[in-house]
Amino acid sequence: MVLCIIAFFVFAVMSIFSAKYRPLAKEGLKCVFKTITFRPCDTGLDDRIKARLVSELLKFSPGAAKVLNKHFVIFSWLFVLLTFGSLAYSIYGFYNFYVYGNCDGPDSVNGCVLNDITGDYGRFSEPKDLIVPTNYDGLTEGNPNGTLKIIEFGCFTCPYTKKAEDTVQGLLQEYDGQIYYVFKPFPLPNHNNSFEAARAVLCARDQGKMWEFRKEVFKQQDVCRTDGTLAIKELAQNAQLDMDKFNKCYDNNETDAELGKYVQQGKDAHIYATPTFFVNDKPVVGPKTLDQFRCEIEKKDSLVKEIGCLLGQWWG
Amino acid sequence: MKEIKKDFPVLVNNPDIVYLDSACTSLKPMQVIEAEMEYYKKFGACAGRSSHRLGRETNQRLDECREKVAKFVNAEKDGLIWTRNATEGLNIVANGFDFSKRKKVVTSIVEHHSVLLPLIKLRDQGKIKLDVVGCDKEGNVDFSKIDRETALVVTNSWNNILGTGRKINEIAKLAHDNGALICVDGAQGVPHHKTDFKNLDFLCFSGHKMLAPTGIGALVCKTDHLAKLKPLMTGGGAVKTVELNKVVELPTQERFEAGIQHYAGIFGFASACEYLNKIGMEEVEKHEATLAKAFYEELKSAGAMIYGPDSPQNHSALYSFGFKNAKAHDIALMLDREKIAVRSGFFCAQPAMEVIGAGDGATRVSGYIYNTPEDAKRFGEILKKINVLYS
Repeated sequence: MVLCIIAFFVFAVMSIFSAKYRPLAKEGLKCVFKTITFRPCDTGLDDRIKARLVSELLKFSPGAAKVLNKHFVIFSWLFVLLTFGSLAYSIYGFYNFYVYGNCDGPDSVNGCVLNDITGDYGRFSEPKDLIVPTNYDGLTEGNPNGTLKIIEFGCFTCPYTKKAEDTVQGLLQEYDGQIYYVFKPFPLPNHNNSFEAARAVLCARDQGKMWEFRKEVFKQQDVCRTDGTLAIKELAQNAQLDMDKFNKCYDNNETDAELGKYVQQGKDAHIYATPTFFVNDKPVVGPKTLDQFRCEIEKKDSLVKEIGCLLGQWWG
Repeated sequence: MKEIKKDFPVLVNNPDIVYLDSACTSLKPMQVIEAEMEYYKKFGACAGRSSHRLGRETNQRLDECREKVAKFVNAEKDGLIWTRNATEGLNIVANGFDFSKRKKVVTSIVEHHSVLLPLIKLRDQGKIKLDVVGCDKEGNVDFSKIDRETALVVTNSWNNILGTGRKINEIAKLAHDNGALICVDGAQGVPHHKTDFKNLDFLCFSGHKMLAPTGIGALVCKTDHLAKLKPLMTGGGAVKTVELNKVVELPTQERFEAGIQHYAGIFGFASACEYLNKIGMEEVEKHEATLAKAFYEELKSAGAMIYGPDSPQNHSALYSFGFKNAKAHDIALMLDREKIAVRSGFFCAQPAMEVIGAGDGATRVSGYIYNTPEDAKRFGEILKKINVLYS
C-alpha cells in the first residue's frame, strides 16, 4: 500500500534517534519495494497502520471511521499525493531561498520562514524578542527634534527592504518636519553582495550622495545581487560620484568599521528579518504599506481610528 | 476460576490484556515456570548417563514426570515418548509406521498442517495411499471410508478452527474393526478435555498448549506398537550398544529420544499436568462450556459470522469468525489496539479453511482456564464497535 512510502521515510528518520524504529523502517522499505514493483505488501505494516488509524478514529466518530475503513486506499493515495505535493513545494521554496533569498521567488513580498532559521541573524523570530536600539547613529534624514522617530534596519540586496523603500519615501514626505528617519544598514549573509552594497552606500554618503546612490541600488537590486562589485561601481559612475574617492573608500573597506557597528547594533536589537522598523520604539517587521504605518503612528489618537486600523489589518 | 488469573505472570504484568489466543499457545502459570527453573537450580545434570548423585536424581525425577504426563491421558509411562511438540509426534508416527502390508491412510480435510503435510509427503514419495475425507460446511466428517485396506487413521480429537470435537472412540472402533490403527492429534483436545488413551494407538500432544513450556510434547503409544515404530532420528541415549558393524537400539521409548532431552521443559510439563489435575479436567470442561456459551452470545450479538456449527453446544471455547467484507487481520489488529489478543489467518489448516468457506482466512477467539465471562464481554463490546465499520 502506498502509505508505506511515507511510513518508511518517517521511520527511517526516527531510526536515526532510536533503534526501536529500525525494524519498522526495514518493514517500510520492503513494503515500498513491493509497492513500486506492483506487488502486494506482505509485511503487514500497512494493515497495522490502517488498524491503528481506524481504531483511533472509531473512539471519536464511528461514522468517520467507517468511511476511512471503507475507502482507506483512496485516502492513502490522497495523503501520499498531498505529502509529495507539499514536499515538492518545500523543495521549490528552498531553491528560491537559495537563489533569490526568499522562498516565494524573486518578486514575492511575503515573509519567508526560512529567513528565521538560516544565517547568523536567525536566533529570534518574534517581534516581542526585539530590543529597541539605544541610539540614532546611521544614515539619517529629517528633523532630529521631530516627534516621529523611525529607525530602520535594512539590507540593500533584500527584496523586502526594497519593497519598503516606497513607503519610507512616502513617510518622509507626509511627515516632513516631524519625522527623524535613521537607516541602519544590516546586510544579511543570505543575500548575495549585501555587504558590498552596504559598503558602497556608506562610501556614497561620504560624498554627500547617499540618497541618489541608494535609490539606484534599490532600482538595480537584481543586478547588484548577481554582478556585485562590477554592477555597484557602474551605478556609482552613473550617480556621478567621484570614482577615485569611491574606489579608495570601497576597495580599502574604509566603511567596514562603521558597518560592523550597525550590524552589532542589529544583533543587539535581535533583528531576525529585514526590514525591521522601530516607530517611536514600537517594532514593525517586514515591508508595510503607508496606510499601515499611518495606523501605527496615529491609532492612539482615537478609538475610531484604532478600530479602523484593526479592520484594515484584518482586511488587508 | 477467577482467582486463577493471579497464577499467570503474563496476566499479572499486563492486567489490561485479555488473552484469547490459547489455541495457539497457552499462558504459563508461575508453578510451571518455577518447576522449569527447579531443574536448573537444583538438578542441572544429564539423565540416564551419569552415575553421580545429580545425574541419578535427574533421572528419577524425569521418570516421575513421564509417569505424571502419561497418567494425565490414562496411558502407560513406558509408552510415552518425549517430543518437541505434537508435530514431531505426528511425524514420528507417519514416518516410522510400518506400511509394508497395508498402504492406505485415512485422514480428514479438517486437520492441521502437521497432520496433512507428513502424509502428503509420504504419498508423493509413493510410500502410502492417502485418502483425505471431505467434510460439510459444519466440519462434519464421515469416516466410513475406513476399510480392510486401511493401515492407519489419523484424526484430531478436537479441531483448531471450528472448536468442535469428534467421537474418537467410535472412529477408533471402526479402525480397529478393520484391522487399522488410529493416531490422534490431541493438540487441541488434551489441554481442554478429559482424554482417555485406552482405546487409541497413538496420541500426540503439545505441552505449550496446556500451560507447559514451549518445546516439549509427547507421543503416547501402545507399547506393542512402540516396538514396531521406527525412530525419526537416532543418536546418543537411543542405543544399547554400538559397534561399527552392528548397532543395537534400545527396546524402550528412549530409542526415540536421541540426544539430551528438554529436561526443564519436561519438569514444567509434569507440573502443568499437576496444575490441571488439581483443578480437575471435569471443572476445566465445565468452565470452557460456560466460556463457549459466552463467546457465542457475544459473537452473535456483534453480528459476526461464525464458521462451523452455529451453536455453543458441544463446542470448545474456540470460534473462527468474520464480518462480511472485513479482512481477518484487520479485525485482529483492531482488537489488539484494544488489548484483546486473538489470532487471524488460516491457523495452519488452509485446506480446511477453504472447505468451511473461509478461503480468505478468519479471526479466531480461543479461551482457557484463565479467561472469564467478563473477558468474553469485553471482547464482545469491542467487536460490536468494529462491526459498525462493516455494517
